[in-house]
Formats: sequence, C-alpha cells, structure tokens
Amino acid sequence: MAESVKVLPQDIQEIIEVHEWDMRTREGVQRFRELKAKSLPSVALDGELVYESLIPMQEEMIDEIRRRYKEKNQDE
Amino acid sequence: MKADETKAKRFIYPTRGVCPPEIHFKLNNGKLEDIRFVGGGCPGNAQLVARLLEGKPLTEALEYFIGIDCRNGTSCPDQLAAAVSAAEKGNLKPAESFRVQDDPADRRRVGLVGAPEGNPAVLHQIIQRIQASGIETFYCLGNLTGNSDQNKGLIQKMRKQKILAVQGENDWRYALGQETEGMPPLEQKERDWLLRLPQVLSFQMKQKKAIVFFGDYIQSLPDYSDFEPFALEMNMVCGLTDFMQDETVFPALEAMIPQFSADMIVFGQLKKWGHWHIAGKDFISLGPASYEKGLSWGQLEVEDEKIEFKIIRSEYKGG
Repeated sequence: MAESVKVLPQDIQEIIEVHEWDMRTREGVQRFRELKAKSLPSVALDGELVYESLIPMQEEMIDEIRRRYKEKNQDE
Repeated sequence: MKADETKAKRFIYPTRGVCPPEIHFKLNNGKLEDIRFVGGGCPGNAQLVARLLEGKPLTEALEYFIGIDCRNGTSCPDQLAAAVSAAEKGNLKPAESFRVQDDPADRRRVGLVGAPEGNPAVLHQIIQRIQASGIETFYCLGNLTGNSDQNKGLIQKMRKQKILAVQGENDWRYALGQETEGMPPLEQKERDWLLRLPQVLSFQMKQKKAIVFFGDYIQSLPDYSDFEPFALEMNMVCGLTDFMQDETVFPALEAMIPQFSADMIVFGQLKKWGHWHIAGKDFISLGPASYEKGLSWGQLEVEDEKIEFKIIRSEYKGG
C-alpha cells in the first residue's frame, strides 16, 4: 500500500507528507487503533481512514488528495 | 543525546562457584546500574554491594572486585568482575528483552493451568487430576501469586515439584519489590525465583509451535523489542485485538498471521476461558485455576496434525 503512495506523481508528492506505520510494532498497532481501522492495508488522509483492504486506482487517490488539498486551501 | 551516549544495555551473567546462579546488571555509558545477585547468596550484602556500585564508572568499580575470595576460588564480586569484563569484551550478549524458555520435547497431550494466585491446595488438586488423566506434562501460567498469605507455600510447592511455570504480572511486581499494596511480603529468595521465571514459554506439538505468556505487562518491560521472537504474536493479541475481545479487527489479525512463528498462542490476562481458531492459528485464553467452588484447567491434544482444546472442570474437595 505504501508503494502506491510513493509512486504518486511529483506534483502530488509536493503537497503531501507520507507516514508509514509498521503493524508489527506497538506504535503501528496504536495508530491503527486510533484510526479505528479494521483491516489491512489501510490508508488515512488527513487522519481520516479513507481506504481499507484495497489499493485504490492511482487516479482515484490523486483525485481524493487534490479534493482535500483544495478544500483545505479554501478554508485558509 | 550526546554523541558518546548510548542506550543502557542489560545483561544476565550465569555465575560459577558462587551461591547466586545469576547476576543481572546494566551498563550505561561505562557505568554500572541495577546490579542484582539473583537466586541465592546473602541478600543483604548483595543489596549493599549493588547500592554502593550504582552509577560507578567501570574503571572505578573494578578496583573493588580484585582479590576477594569467598568459596571455590571465587566470590560474588569476582563473578561480577568476570561478568562486566565479558560484557565489555562482547563475550556476553545483552539479555533478551523478555525471558523465553523452550520445552524441547515434542508433546502430544499437555495440561494448561492458569492463575493459581497463591492457592497451593487448588494447584495440588489440579495436579492430582492431571496426573490421573495421563497427561504427559503441564504448564502453569501466572499469576502464580495473588492477594494470599499462601504465596510462599505455593512457590515452595512449585519449586519442589519443578513445575514449568510462566510469570504473570503479579509475579513480576513481586520480583521487583513493587507488589500491589496489601499483598503479603515475600522473602528475597521467593522474589528471586519469581524473577527468574520465563515470561514466554514455547513448546512443540508435532509440527505446531505453541507459546504461553501472561499479558501486556511484557510489552512495558524497559527493553521490550517489537522484533524479538514472539513479540509479533504478543503485539497482535494484546494491542491489536485486546486479548481477542475486539472481533472487528480480526481481518487485520488475519493479514498479520502469515508472519507468525507460533501456531498456538496461549495467554492469561483475560482471566476467562476462550478459544479462537483464525487463519489456521489457535488463540487460547486461560481461565483461573479455581472458580467459585470448582477447579478448571485446559487440555491440548494433537492428533493427525489437528489440535483439540478442552476445558476440564471438576469439583474442589475441601480446603
């Protein structure tokens, strides 16, 4: 799942910050619980669980990131 | 952190020729910390030595050790010197973050006893019944001690009968001298016995590897590492599934299971019986050895590569 984020185009990479948690660790498990995730792999955007158990198509993820980016910047 | 600072490393040194079979200590930037002579000897003197040497640089501390003979041409200080030297030279590896014991025998039918909590009479009756049932061996999971004035009697029984036991959280707290308020005191030798108990026991049943551990206090041990053998299983049981009580995360558990090295995971913290079979692995929660007026224990049997788990209950007679 992390790979699908890492291969996003450069213009998207520039507007996001990626954190990857290792589910083998207590820290990873704690983050998983905080997000109220249920299955793996999981992707959260802005601390909100968006994709679970599936790797979204790249375009779908790009659209979602752009939508959130626009929303945030409108608010500011 | 300064450039010359490193994380304190904990060591366990198996002694030779002296009363305590182990010396535990830490090295932190060339200084000695948390020295403990475990399992025998003169506890008062040993504590004094530990206090005097706490935080002393090795070069200074080693001067105190030289030329002390007690028995067999050595002494506790001499053994501590050997231990520290071995650690310094890299001949003594840092201790694992939790203590794992492996039962090397290949088992077919074993008994699992949970939490006798300082009741030797209950343990005695369960042992009698287990032995009468032809089970080849059994493992006793903590809490071995509880809020009971018979903790000492229980420990003596377990030591005498060489029962394979796994430390529980009460036992760990006793070992550190940090028992819950109101728990009756124990002598140093009993605390040392509790300290030396394995925190994880592993055993084999045909092709299946089983582990037994109490619960999440192990994850809070100061040197706990997420990457030691069986840590993954413990992290999943304790942290992810809340001791298998949160079924909503079982899909995530299933995704992690292929990385497990154990096939059966037995734990005790829940203090009630339970058995889950998920993605080819068995998760077993051990209930207490006694309930109301009855006794209970578990039986694991392997036949044709298939694991069968039963909870056995019987009447408690007297006591």
